[in-house]
This record gives sequence, structure tokens and C-alpha cells, in this order.
Amino acid sequence: MKVDMKSTDLSWISKIQVNQPAVLRRAEQIQARRTVKKEWQAAWLLKAVTFIDLTTLSGDDTPSNIQRLCYKAKYPIREDLLKALNMHDKDITTAAVCVYPARVCDAVKALKAAGCSIPVASVATGFPAGQTHLKTRLEEIRLAVEDGATEIDVVINRSLVLTGQWEALYDEIRQFRKACGEAHLKTILATGELGSLTNVYKASMIAMMAGSDFIKTSTGKETVNATFPVAIVMLRAIRDFFWKTGNKVGFKPAGGIRSAKDSLAWLSLVKEELGDEWLKPELFRIGASTLLSDIERQVSNLYLWSKLTGVFEKGIEKPN
Amino acid sequence: GGGAGVWTPRSLSCSTSPGSTVVALVPPASPTPLLLAQLAGELGSFPGILNVISGPASLGPVLASQPAIQKVAFCGALEEGRVLRRSLAGKCVELGLALGMESLLLLTDTADVDSAVEGVVDAAWSDRGPGGLRLLIQESVWDEVMRRLQERMGRLRSGRGLDGAVDMGTRGAAACDLAQRFVHEAQSQGAQVFQAGDVPPERPFYPPTLVFNLPPASPCAQAEVPWPVVVASPFRTAKEALAVANGTPRGGSASVWSERLGQALELGYGLRMGTVWINAHGLRDPSVPTGGCKESGCSWHGGPDGLYEYLRPSGTPTQVSCLSKNMNYDTFGLTVPSTLPAGPEIGPSPAPPYGLFVGGRFQAPGARSSRPIQDSSGNLHGYVAEGGAKDIRGAVEAAHQAAPGWAGQSPGARAGLLWALAAALERRKSTLASRLERQGVELKAAEAEVELSARRLRAWGARAQAQGHTLQVSGLRGPVLRLREPLGVLAVVCPDEWPLLAFVSLLAPALACGNTVVMVPSAACPLLALEVCQDIATLFPAGLANVVTGDQDHLTRCLALHQDVQALWYFGSAQVLFVLFCHIQHLTLPTGSSFSGNSPALLEFLLLRGETP
Repeated sequence: MKVDMKSTDLSWISKIQVNQPAVLRRAEQIQARRTVKKEWQAAWLLKAVTFIDLTTLSGDDTPSNIQRLCYKAKYPIREDLLKALNMHDKDITTAAVCVYPARVCDAVKALKAAGCSIPVASVATGFPAGQTHLKTRLEEIRLAVEDGATEIDVVINRSLVLTGQWEALYDEIRQFRKACGEAHLKTILATGELGSLTNVYKASMIAMMAGSDFIKTSTGKETVNATFPVAIVMLRAIRDFFWKTGNKVGFKPAGGIRSAKDSLAWLSLVKEELGDEWLKPELFRIGASTLLSDIERQVSNLYLWSKLTGVFEKGIEKPN
Repeated sequence: GGGAGVWTPRSLSCSTSPGSTVVALVPPASPTPLLLAQLAGELGSFPGILNVISGPASLGPVLASQPAIQKVAFCGALEEGRVLRRSLAGKCVELGLALGMESLLLLTDTADVDSAVEGVVDAAWSDRGPGGLRLLIQESVWDEVMRRLQERMGRLRSGRGLDGAVDMGTRGAAACDLAQRFVHEAQSQGAQVFQAGDVPPERPFYPPTLVFNLPPASPCAQAEVPWPVVVASPFRTAKEALAVANGTPRGGSASVWSERLGQALELGYGLRMGTVWINAHGLRDPSVPTGGCKESGCSWHGGPDGLYEYLRPSGTPTQVSCLSKNMNYDTFGLTVPSTLPAGPEIGPSPAPPYGLFVGGRFQAPGARSSRPIQDSSGNLHGYVAEGGAKDIRGAVEAAHQAAPGWAGQSPGARAGLLWALAAALERRKSTLASRLERQGVELKAAEAEVELSARRLRAWGARAQAQGHTLQVSGLRGPVLRLREPLGVLAVVCPDEWPLLAFVSLLAPALACGNTVVMVPSAACPLLALEVCQDIATLFPAGLANVVTGDQDHLTRCLALHQDVQALWYFGSAQVLFVLFCHIQHLTLPTGSSFSGNSPALLEFLLLRGETP
């Protein structure tokens, strides 16, 4: 369990200010300056695969497409490609599978049949808008945990942020935490709807203080999802929380990450702002659905290139 | 158009303005200008527009003294700038100096600390900033800033500049040595040093360095901070921060970090720097002028001001070199030549001698002597005080005391006073005209001179109203405010001719723009100026305009060597350099284009070896 902070400590939060133009400039700079090329790119891409929470959150999800998804989670990259890169025995799977609460049972069953120990993550608390009664939101969490979900992605109540009710927000997230029990709690901040970077920072802090294991940028259903400026603010909040309490909270960007190049940029960002310790599935996830196929395509291109230039003759080292 | 000599060790500034050709002298270590010149040459049609010579700094004065050069723009270190300036004295070459590369960052407790730390990285540890950084941190956030800064330094990457994934490259072995020496000296004076970052260990690479706990009285605290060093010092209040920041002799660029708009603007206005950024550092745009104050030079690059540096209004007569080989600068004006006392006086007893007009009233000179002024027929016209170095010092001090109040006046108030003086002159037209007549001017011409003087005052009063701050919006995600600030205390040495008109025409612009003045009136007839002072005494606040009479050469020397005079306008006997003002009766008032430089006090010109740039 995480360290509790008394609600009287919330006064320092109101003094926080984030300068938006400066954060935007920093975001542009990171994207320009830390790019990964050639053989290192293949290693980074495979590492990115291990961070993916393979997601399907559509109205037309049925047991059959859930089953396909779970299979894909166990075998994300083609076997022959992995063999050629000498990575077939490194246990490369995605980090988790993310579905709606009604589909949790199907996902658990499919993963068991595939003989896979990947956790099933469920969204909850009125995903994506969160505009339902607190009672039903808490019940959703409990039901999802009962069905076998070991990770819960909850959505915060944006109206509390926009009206500045920080204590009420803290209390709500504490209740979500209690309802999760032993399950892993990811708090979605829906940053596209929070209005300002200062609000993003404050909401991140409150979420972490209330006991979240991860903070997540967005549901993927807003107009603006995961962007670099927002991520920089959240990562700074994570680092500040770590300095204040010694607890490491994870980060998950979700929504809008579709290409392999994007995923590399995200990895660079986390490495730049928080360091290598956060580049583990326990502390970093990427919420994506179509990203996997693009990564596979890019890795196969790199492999073909390497065959022409002979770079991968000895295979690549395990990414650290 | 004409030849311009340009010396830019760091960058080739856009000085190929309309019509000028350029010769650039660059240090051998930077080949980029040579490449640029090669590309320009390939364009074909006009060979010789851009020429680049690669050579050591000592060639600078040689290049600048070539006959066809009309303007020299120098960008580099203070000492070399001084040498160049000395070598150019007396030649009719315009000199623009952009000295020093240090900048300043002021971090208040209401700042977004993480973004401010990024600002520090931009300023000192990237390829965007040219020099080191002086970092002022408010005490209450000192620990927080230090921690974040050190953590951030650990993630900086240094390496060859062409590798896209590095944050900073190297500036050469010389810069590396300079940084090394500075750090050693700072350590020996008691400072602590922190270095971090992923830096290759070979010599031209120097790691990002943070120096703190440097005692404020140590010499390093005043010296220019080299790249890539950051010297951090704490401050308690905004007032203290301004005092520390304005206390360094350099005035290049600075940034203020505060999320409170009012505080940010107050600090921004209070800093005596050429460029101030708010919540950003190092943003540049070609349409925004950049330059410096004080020891950072006096020329501007970019924007309309930068363009006007290379232009002159049409119809300006060409300048004549006034370099006199016989002039010995060491003894020029050192002592007042002694004169025999005048013979016995005949006729009615003359009026008692005028005193000096200092601090709003007439005072006796320190030397307690006066000199006779003769009229056009050789008779005695009156006596004026013999001013000396002590009087100059007193006058400058009085001007400084009046300066803040005057600068703080609204343009309307300034205009009002100038208009009141114009009205007073008109009321006294007959007295002034009769004085002019005694100097040999015809009555009609004398009256015309008085009228023109009044008109000049009114016109300048109107210009005071029109002057303001201008707002530009460029591609920088925010507006740019161009402030025209008064320089401070101006010293003016009037020409002999046009004793009334010249005096008024030089007084008015200086005052209209918010400066206070110390004037040395026409040597032939200072009485007109002193008449005007009688009106000034009743109308203007004390110390606004001060008039010191005496031996013109001696007073000029005193003013030039005075360390606290911001600019000197000199119109002298055989060496009238700006013929422009000799024809003042023909010209309409100069338009903005004739004023170059960072302030309305344009014609900043020093004949002698003035030590201040």
C-alpha cells in the first residue's frame, strides 16, 4: 500500500504553477533531439512491445475478437522474425490486455487457454466519461475484480478538478483504491479535459497521494489524448512525488500512439525525464491497439535492411 | 552604400543590408562563414558583395583602418573592442560594438521551477547560448532549484556538434581553457563546484559546470562568466535582485522567471539590459532587435534598429576625417591656458559675472575666476565663470540627482515644460535679439533665430509625446515590447556658431527623450545660453539642465573622462564631425531614421580616448 498523506498537506498544491509555453518548447526539443537509429531501433521497438497494454474498447467486442486479442498478446511478433533476430526465447509478450468490464471473463478464459500469465486490465468507473453515480462506479470496480481483472483503469471525475475541489477528488480516489483491494490501480486523468497544465500537475499529485499505482494520460476517447507537453508535466509530478515520499508511481500514455516512431519518442521521453529505472513494464505502459502491427512491420523492415547490410549476423543483445 | 568592415568571430550578422558590401574577418576555428561566402559567390551576379578573411584577432584594427571602410561592426570580447575603438578614434568610421556573451537569469519564488531549469539549460548548456550564465535564485526556492538543476545536469549529453542527439558541443580549446581557469579561480576563492553530464573526456569538451557559494566580494563574482559555467547566487527580495543584476558592468541579456505578471514586468522594466525575456531564455527572431547596454556594447542587430545601423538619411553630407596627427591626446585640454588680465576698462561698469548654472541656480565656480567675453566690435560684452573639473563633477552629480525624476515624467509633462520654455523665449525676444546683435548678427536675422529656437523647442516637445513603446508580434509565441529608455546624463559641447539656436537645438532633444544634461555652451558667446538659463531656473526642476562655461577643451576633457556620463555630444572648433548640425537652420527636424542606436540619444561619439564605450 502506498503512503498516505494527510489532507492538510494539500495547501502546497495550490501554489503550483506550470508555465505552458516553456513546457511546449521543451516538448519540441525532446522530439528533435533524442532519436534512435538502426540496430538500436530494433531493440527499442521490441522493448516497446513489452510495454503495450493491448487494448480493445469498442461497442462491438465479442468473445471471438477478445480471443484473437489475447492470442496476439501472447505472440505479438511473428515467430520466424523473432527467431531470425535471435529473440524467440526472450519471452516477448505484451504487458497486459485491456478490455471493458463485461468482457473480463472472456479475456481471462482466453489467456488461460493460451497458457499465458499476462494480467487482464479492466476499465471501470463509468469509462470514458465518468459521469455516473459514485455507487455504481465503485460497484463496477468490485465486479471487475471479482471476474478476475488484476488491474483496474479508473477515470477521475473531471468536474471536481475544474471546480477546484481537490479534497473531494482525493476522497473519491481513496475509495476507488479501497474497492480495488489488491488489484493494481491506474488513474486516468483525462488530461484533454482538464483545461490547463497546472490542473494536470495538481490532479496527478492528488491521484498519486491517494494511492494510485499508475497515472494515465487519457481514455483514448477524448479529442486530445496523449501529447508530449502533458506527459512532461505528469512525469515531473511523478518525479516530485518520488522525491517527497520515496514511492515510484508508473506512467501510461494512451490514445493516439499509432506508429512505431511515436512509441520510440515516448520511450525517449521517459528515459530523459525519469531515467532508466522507469523503463520497465512495472512502471511504464503504453495503451495502444494498432501500434503492435506497425511495430511488427517496422521490425521486419529493419530485419530486411540488416540482411542487406549484415548488421544482425550475431543477433541483437537482449534489451536492458 | 559603401564598404563595411565586419568582424564577427561568432556569426556573420546580416549586415549585407541594402547597398552595402561586406568584408568579414573570422577566426580560423570557425569555417562556417567561409562556406557561406562560397555559396554567396556561386550566386554569381555581383562578385565581391560578401568577402571573408580568416585570421587572428590582431588583424581587426588593420582591417578597420582601410580607407574605403565606412562602418565596422565588432562582436567579441571587451578588451579587443576597446583596442579597436581606440584605433578608430578620429577616423570617420562608424563603430558598432556587441561585446561579451554572458547572460543573466533571475528566478523568483513564484516561477515554474522546472521550466526555469530548462531555461538555464538553454542559456548555458546548449548551442543556443553564446556564453556563461549568472543565475540569481530567490532564497526560499534555493534548495529546490539546486536539486533539480543538478539532476538535470546529469542528463545532459555533450559531444560533437553534428551528432543530432547531443545537447551541447564544444567551443574550441581556448574556450575550454578559459572555463578551466575560471573554475579554478572560483574554487580558490571559496566556491563549490558541481559538474555532471555525459561528456567525452578529451580536451575541447568541457562538462556543464555549476558554481555556487561564491562569496559576493570575490573577483570572480564580477568577472564575466565563461561558457559552460553557471554561477548561482541567492537573493532575498526583488529589490536586492535588481541591485545585484544591475551592479555588474555588463548589460547584455537577461530573463525573468515568475508566474506573477506584475512582478515579472516590474523586474523586466527594472533590469538595465539590452534584451529581457520573461519566462523564456534565448529566444531570437530576425525581426526583433538585440543588443546591449553598458559594457555590452552599443550596437543593435536585427529589426528596424539593426537596419538603421547600416543606413544614413539621404542628403547627409559625407564625413571628413578629422584625425589630426599633431594632436597629443595626453595633454589635450589638461590645463587652462593662462591669459593676461584685460586692460583697464572704459565705459560703464559691466554687469557682475555670470556664475555657473548648476542644480537649478547660478553658482560661483570652484576656481573663483571668470573670463571676459567680447562682442563683435571687440568691446567687453560680459564676464562668465571659469569652470573646471570640480564644477563639472558637481554639474554631473546634480544632473544625476534629477535624472530619475525626469525619466519618470510622462511624455506630456516633458512636452509641457519644453513648450513653457519656448513661450518664455518668445517673451524675451527683444533681449535675446539685442544680445545677438552685439555679437554681430543683423536684427532681422537675430529675431529669426529666436523664433526658430522657440519653434524647435515646440517641435521637440511634440516629439516627446509621440515617442512611446512599440509592440511587435513575431513568431515567438508572444509579443515583443521595444522600449525606448533615456540614457541618463548627457554631456553636450556646443559649437561656436549659432550661440542661441545651437544651444536650444541640442538641449531640446536630450530633454524631450528623458535625459538630463550638462552643457558647455558656445565659447564665443555663452551669454545667450546663460540668458536662457534664467528662464530654465524658474521653469524646470533643479538639475535638469546644467550649464558650465570655461575653456572648452578643458571642459570637454573633463566630461569625456568622467565615468558617469552616459553620452557626449561634441561639436567643436575645427573638428565638427557631424556637419548635419551645422546646417540646422536649413533642415527640418530629423526623422527617426537619423537616430540610430538603442536610445534617443543617438550621436554617441567620443573624440578623445574616452575609457567608457
